[in-house]
Amino acid sequence: MSQAIRSFRADKGIQQPIRIALYFSGCCDSSLYLCVDTTFETDLTLELDGLTFVINPEIYQVVGEVTIPYVDEMGRKGFVLTSSKPVGEWDGFGVSDIKIQPNLYV
Amino acid sequence: MEQYKLFINGEFVDADSGKTFETIDPGTEAPIATVAQAGKADAEEAIAAARKAFDRGDWSGLTPAARAAKVQDFADQITRQGLRLAFTESMNSGQVISLAKFMPLISVTLLRNLSLAAVTKFPWEEEIPVSGNAFAPGREFIRREPVGVCVGISPWNYPMYIACWKIAPALLMGNTMVLKPASYTPLTALIVAEAAKAAGIPDGVFNVIAGPGRELGEILCTHPDVDKISFTGSTEVGREIMRMAAGTIKKVTLELGGKSATIILDDADMELAVEGALFSNFFHQGQVCSSGSRVLVSSKIHDEFLDKIIKRAESIRIGYQMDQTSHMGPLVSKQQLATVERYVKLGKEEGAELITGGKRVEVKGIKGGFYYAPTIFANVNNKMRIAQEEIFGPVLCIIKYDSDEEAIAIANDSVYGLAGGVFSTNTARAERVARGVRTGTMWINNYHIFSDYCPFGGYKQSGVGRELGLESLREYTQIKRIHVSAIADHKSNMTFQIMSDYKKVEGFSYNCPTAVIAGHGALSSIYKAVADLGCRRALILTDSGVNKAGLAQLVKDALVDFCVGIYDSISPDPDLETVDVATAVARELKADCIISVGGGSVIDTAKGVCVTLKNGGKVNDYLNFLVLTEPQTPHIVIPTTAGTGSEVTNMAVLTSKGAGRKLFIVDTRIMPNVAILDPRFTMTLPKDLTVTTAMDAMTHAIEAMMSTLANQICDGLALHAIRLINENLPLVVADGSNEKARLNMQLAATMAGWAFTIAQVGLAHGMAHTIGTLHHVPHGVACGIVLPKVMRYNVDHAADKLALVAQALGTNTAGMKEHDVALAAADAVESLMKKVGHPMRLRDVGVPEENLAICAFHAIADTAVIFNGRPVSDPNEVLQIYRQAY
Repeated sequence: MSQAIRSFRADKGIQQPIRIALYFSGCCDSSLYLCVDTTFETDLTLELDGLTFVINPEIYQVVGEVTIPYVDEMGRKGFVLTSSKPVGEWDGFGVSDIKIQPNLYV
Repeated sequence: MEQYKLFINGEFVDADSGKTFETIDPGTEAPIATVAQAGKADAEEAIAAARKAFDRGDWSGLTPAARAAKVQDFADQITRQGLRLAFTESMNSGQVISLAKFMPLISVTLLRNLSLAAVTKFPWEEEIPVSGNAFAPGREFIRREPVGVCVGISPWNYPMYIACWKIAPALLMGNTMVLKPASYTPLTALIVAEAAKAAGIPDGVFNVIAGPGRELGEILCTHPDVDKISFTGSTEVGREIMRMAAGTIKKVTLELGGKSATIILDDADMELAVEGALFSNFFHQGQVCSSGSRVLVSSKIHDEFLDKIIKRAESIRIGYQMDQTSHMGPLVSKQQLATVERYVKLGKEEGAELITGGKRVEVKGIKGGFYYAPTIFANVNNKMRIAQEEIFGPVLCIIKYDSDEEAIAIANDSVYGLAGGVFSTNTARAERVARGVRTGTMWINNYHIFSDYCPFGGYKQSGVGRELGLESLREYTQIKRIHVSAIADHKSNMTFQIMSDYKKVEGFSYNCPTAVIAGHGALSSIYKAVADLGCRRALILTDSGVNKAGLAQLVKDALVDFCVGIYDSISPDPDLETVDVATAVARELKADCIISVGGGSVIDTAKGVCVTLKNGGKVNDYLNFLVLTEPQTPHIVIPTTAGTGSEVTNMAVLTSKGAGRKLFIVDTRIMPNVAILDPRFTMTLPKDLTVTTAMDAMTHAIEAMMSTLANQICDGLALHAIRLINENLPLVVADGSNEKARLNMQLAATMAGWAFTIAQVGLAHGMAHTIGTLHHVPHGVACGIVLPKVMRYNVDHAADKLALVAQALGTNTAGMKEHDVALAAADAVESLMKKVGHPMRLRDVGVPEENLAICAFHAIADTAVIFNGRPVSDPNEVLQIYRQAY
């Protein structure tokens, strides 16, 4: 996982921390995903293997601990985010890449 | 607390692991039932049961009517459970009871409506009257057959109704099913399973397993015994399902997310628009995939609209879902509530203006529950995440626009394309806007209207395929095309012969329905012929020469008052525009019958007019082979030459400027209804035209005999045509007024036409078409010059036929070997040509020698060459023939 994130940051020239975020992934289900966007003072921060992750404390309260393995198997490639308090029954079913959020309105 | 079990192979069973999970009432957060939690073993058992049931055939093998009857029994059993289903649906999903009470009713109606459609409207078998392959005749039809084992994965917002969107078409089409309901709301699907059992749906045909999507989804979507997956849910999960299904190439139907736009035009009825926008987004707490979560409002009415919708939103009553006075109930889960809250916070961070709502709601007398206020953001920019991502909650974004075009552009600026609405008092304008929005459904002055016979599904990332309607029935079938060859004989199969040295086609179909009326004075028959065809408004098509000669007037007089006009602007070698102009004249005159008086150019133009007049559009639309399925505009032909045979053939040759060559309509349906062979119409034909048109007919006859499609009927016609031409052409050349000889030449041309319309022509025609197109050599002249050379080229592949031709040409063949006799036929043709003064060399008719090579390349690509008795694939060989003819 760490290597995949480092490669992404190097490719994109990104210095900011990686955010663990929550979004609606379409009809009925919400999911966790990784993104790069603005950080806030209120964010919870975690240093892991030399990488900095942030998460909104309210989201952390809902989802709990998050695991982020990177998979590359049988055409399935990306980060699989699962949480100790699943956001839905499909938690960890899909894979995610790292999204770069537009900062236009933040 | 109630306990629910899995439904597998007709039995209610515990999970293999013994695990259960609790399901709650989102309005109180209280558990209401325990449910057996399926795992891998249970999923595999359900799939195995469904597979076995499908293969057993006691469901898939039933007639559609028998299956429909059983599904109607199923519907009856659901009706019996109606009250329980409505209460359970409301309590488990948070649907207000005023909505949930309709769910059993509309589910049953869906089952019954699709049952009726499956029996009375669904095209289980469809004939394909025109196959589009002219070389392999036969009956063509398609059968629709069940796909096999279908997996249905249904969402939590409409647990029962959307499950029935999948159950009804799957079962009616003969499939078996494993249904996995959403884990938040598994109960009504399991009650529906009770109804299936009570209705006697055979064991294994319908199975329900509840449990976590992450674990079950992988098994259901990758198992080799599953043939189709229908999923309603998130785009992210749908994408993963599609990827998993790709491993074993399963069919998928995905109904995914949306970010639909409700467009309020400046002329909208304000009260309707406010109610529509409110309903489009806050209905069922906004937990509807088609929710109009972006409301696009014209800047002209924006402020008034905003004032009104705020007041209206704040009047919505939020309450416990089982309270019949509640307008909105709870969200389905704590996670759902948290995500909605997160988006509201994000909207504020993005700079949108929160004008109402944006907070949780406590319902009096209830502790807990996931209630959230109707929330409206104004001043939203469509690039904001709250306008781009589906929130699936009661959060409405208002976006201002200045023009209809801008509204359409904003609506389309989304990865989704599921639905949308337009509100306007001008239906035409609203429909123009609706057509511009790229979504699977658009409602005008309405919203969230689902109908059993109206398909639902998405563009773009909103999904694949359609649910509801006949489209949903099609989604649960495979299409099997069945071809039954018209002739079961390898020697009649042109396709098989690609891998064979045997190139002749033995079997044939002879269908030449043109009535021929021949003889001196035959013209008189035209009056009755028009009446017999049921026509009263005949248009005469001719060329200026024939008209000036008074022949068209003769015909007009014979028609008495059935003639609506004479159109004589048809030029030699007619192009498509010529046909279209003539068709326009026919349309203007309201002609119901075409009478062509002339040579091949006039007759072929008339054929094009008949097709275009009947079917509309332009003749360029109909340059096809064997695609017409109905009789065309009636056509009577009076030929003024004896050569083309077009009065009885299935072909019209027309010049396409776009293609730069002559193209064809080839169809039995363009054969004229009546051919009147009255020798008076050829008496004035000049000598040179008499000769060259005769050589066209001679080439038709001889090439028909050398063709791979040659047959005994056509041979007989061709041989007699050859005899008649050989005997009568010198007579008419000597005395153009020899009426008997003229009539014989007409009959010869007609018989040669019948011969080649079935047996086709060959290389000589391919070569003649080329030098006609490139160097404007008259068709008959070109045919005559190259014909003997092609006969010699073909001699080893058609010696028997050419020997008969030699005899028909009067050659004394006594004591000669067949090969020599065949070559003598070519000599005899050349002797006849010399006798009647036909040009003998290409150099004499203006073909430059240096262009012969390019002619060879064009000729080899001509359609006629396909049927040449000797296979032709080397342009150098064709060049040699051109050189011999040079």
